[in-house]
Amino acid sequence: MDWIRIFENTMRAFAGVDAAYFALAAIGLNVQFGYTGLLNFGQAAFMACGAYGLGLTSQYFNVSFWWGIPIAMVLVIILALLVGIPTLRLRADYLAIVTIATAELVRLVVRSVKFKRIFGGSDGINTFSNEFRALNPFQPSAQYGIWPFRYNGYTMFTLLVGWGLVVMIAMFVWLLMRSPWGRVVKAIREDEDAVRSLGKNIYSYKMQSLIIGGFCGMLSGMVFALDRGSVQPDNYSRDVTFYILTALVLGGMARVMGSIVGPMMFWGLYVFCDNFLRQLVQSAPLRVGGVTIIQSTQVGAVNYMLVGLGLILLMAKRPQGVFGNRQEMALDGR
Amino acid sequence: MVYLFGLFVLLSFTPTHASAAEGDLFVIAQVSDQTVTSGVSSREPVAGVKISVFDSAGSLVGEGISDSNGEVKILVPARATYSVKLDTSTLPNDLTLLTGTTDSFTIAEETFTTQTKRVSFFIGDSGVSNTTLVEKISQRAADGVRLGLIIALCSVGLSLVFGTTGLTNFAHGEMITFGGLMAFLLNVTLGIPLLLAAPVVIALGGAFGLAFNWLIFARLRKRGIGLVSQMVVSVGLSIMLRNMFLFQFKGRTRPLDDFSLQQGMQIGPIRITPRDLTTGIISLVLLVTVALVLQRSRTGKAVRAVSDNPNLASATGIDTQRIIQIVWCAGGALAALGGIFRGLDEQVGFQMGSGLLFLMFAGITLGGLGSAFGALVGGFLVGVMVEMASLVVPSELKNAPALLILILVLVLRPQGILGTRQRVG
Repeated sequence: MDWIRIFENTMRAFAGVDAAYFALAAIGLNVQFGYTGLLNFGQAAFMACGAYGLGLTSQYFNVSFWWGIPIAMVLVIILALLVGIPTLRLRADYLAIVTIATAELVRLVVRSVKFKRIFGGSDGINTFSNEFRALNPFQPSAQYGIWPFRYNGYTMFTLLVGWGLVVMIAMFVWLLMRSPWGRVVKAIREDEDAVRSLGKNIYSYKMQSLIIGGFCGMLSGMVFALDRGSVQPDNYSRDVTFYILTALVLGGMARVMGSIVGPMMFWGLYVFCDNFLRQLVQSAPLRVGGVTIIQSTQVGAVNYMLVGLGLILLMAKRPQGVFGNRQEMALDGR
Repeated sequence: MVYLFGLFVLLSFTPTHASAAEGDLFVIAQVSDQTVTSGVSSREPVAGVKISVFDSAGSLVGEGISDSNGEVKILVPARATYSVKLDTSTLPNDLTLLTGTTDSFTIAEETFTTQTKRVSFFIGDSGVSNTTLVEKISQRAADGVRLGLIIALCSVGLSLVFGTTGLTNFAHGEMITFGGLMAFLLNVTLGIPLLLAAPVVIALGGAFGLAFNWLIFARLRKRGIGLVSQMVVSVGLSIMLRNMFLFQFKGRTRPLDDFSLQQGMQIGPIRITPRDLTTGIISLVLLVTVALVLQRSRTGKAVRAVSDNPNLASATGIDTQRIIQIVWCAGGALAALGGIFRGLDEQVGFQMGSGLLFLMFAGITLGGLGSAFGALVGGFLVGVMVEMASLVVPSELKNAPALLILILVLVLRPQGILGTRQRVG
């Protein structure tokens, strides 16, 4: 067992691009779920809006990749209106059902043969990132950073952009939640009727919260797409939303710090488990008394089993996560 | 949870006639739509076409539906002579096999030297369609009725659990998968005839439902954990179970042994296998029984009372916890049966239930969330509409109309067809 290697990989994942894009999406989910009480199970679709906003610039519109930002914003607003208008007047679980269904449908549409000319089908789009690469101040092939946080030049650049966005958005959300707007949405989470009786338009506040959270998801999808240099439909499956939710619950909902540290811990733990198990079964399947317990093709399934188990245990035993406040986690106040 | 995990590790799904995962052999069929414009031919993959592989004795080895790359990957047990056949009735509208190509290929044993063997089917515009519109519509309607009955059967539990406890159970799809996989374990791995295995699977499904309640949700309710948190727990449960299924069953889809290969019968304009006809009739009888039990029996009335108002029901002396147990058990059993039927209809795979979850949600929302009869009516209607819609929508997007139904219902009549208004908050 190569423990140094496992430690290095774990540390790199802890501060890696995956943690950064998860953090952006988790901040968005936190605005929606943690602060406003909106159960958005389709954050992956908002991420897809960001990624495909960039992808469409080269695939369909043939314009500079900067246009990806306004295109993605329009897509996010359309999506938020589509899921929000029918459900935000109703109980929380309707939004959950409609968002999970819409996210699945978005994935099916972008990967369909029918719309291959626009969205690139199941191969996705990989022609949009040249302009972004040209902005890279680092040598793409050189190694940067101090041990164990060593990354190549291109990853360094996406890390810089990713974590830079995380810090900016986190500051914005932190300030937003201290503003009168933030107090209203938190009050909506606690007692919708009380807020309504004060003459606030709850529907409009919820919609704004959904769109702001969606914008965070959009940035997350963009960072992810730029890091990989490609947009692929299957990266936005419904389980992605649930992993982000797990990361958020782990860090602690309704806390800005929670939505940043949660994804870091999630990826640290995930990569640790993955590396550990892979090294364990690398040469031969693990057998106990002649019965094969686990072989290398099953490592992925075990990792996600643990994610699911983690989500169950966290919700049941410690819903406030690491940073949260149990009082503020009374999501079912009404 | 630990017990459950132990159970899955002990059970192995490896069927007796399949080799180890590393040395798996596959036949890959590629279905392409070939069009020739000004001398240049272009090929587009065709999804949703059924391909079957038969061995030299003529018995079915495996079958599959082409994905969005137009590919079907079918596991075969050994390097032997196979024939690969395309089911022309599953071709999209107005497409037929190109003239000069056949609907079946033979792979000779001596050419099967690699891990995978590829065959390609080319199809194109036919000009003349050999089925009339009436035939097509009635065939789709028949398929829709069958899908609708399965969805209705599966979603009874989802709707009743929602009605009695308020929980939207995102792990309900895994109950269906559980039924399908248990049927596979008994029928294929252990070789028990499906007719004998089915009652066992249904009983196991009921126990599985009870285990959900007993191990997790009853405890959460007792500790006063809110509904939204319980819903997130069910999401975690769904992820965990699905990956347990993947761990044991691997990622492929495989057919059950019994009744998997049948000749269709022609009834008027509709072609249907005796198997599908039987499962359809059983589903219908069961659904009517469920409706009668809910309407007439003491327990059924108690279930409806708890659905309407748990506190009031409890005050009239109904043991609500026992009713909730009954609902979980019955829901699990019906979902397991739905899993067997779905496994016969399509194939068994680790995602077979989670793929239906969205259709079930659309169904119970249409019928009225929490209404006992709503699940039956709504699930049935959604199944019919989804199949009928595939006449006009590409088959890879045939679930899209269900989303449209979901959104329209929520805008126009959020309480659904049979729901009562005060439940909508």
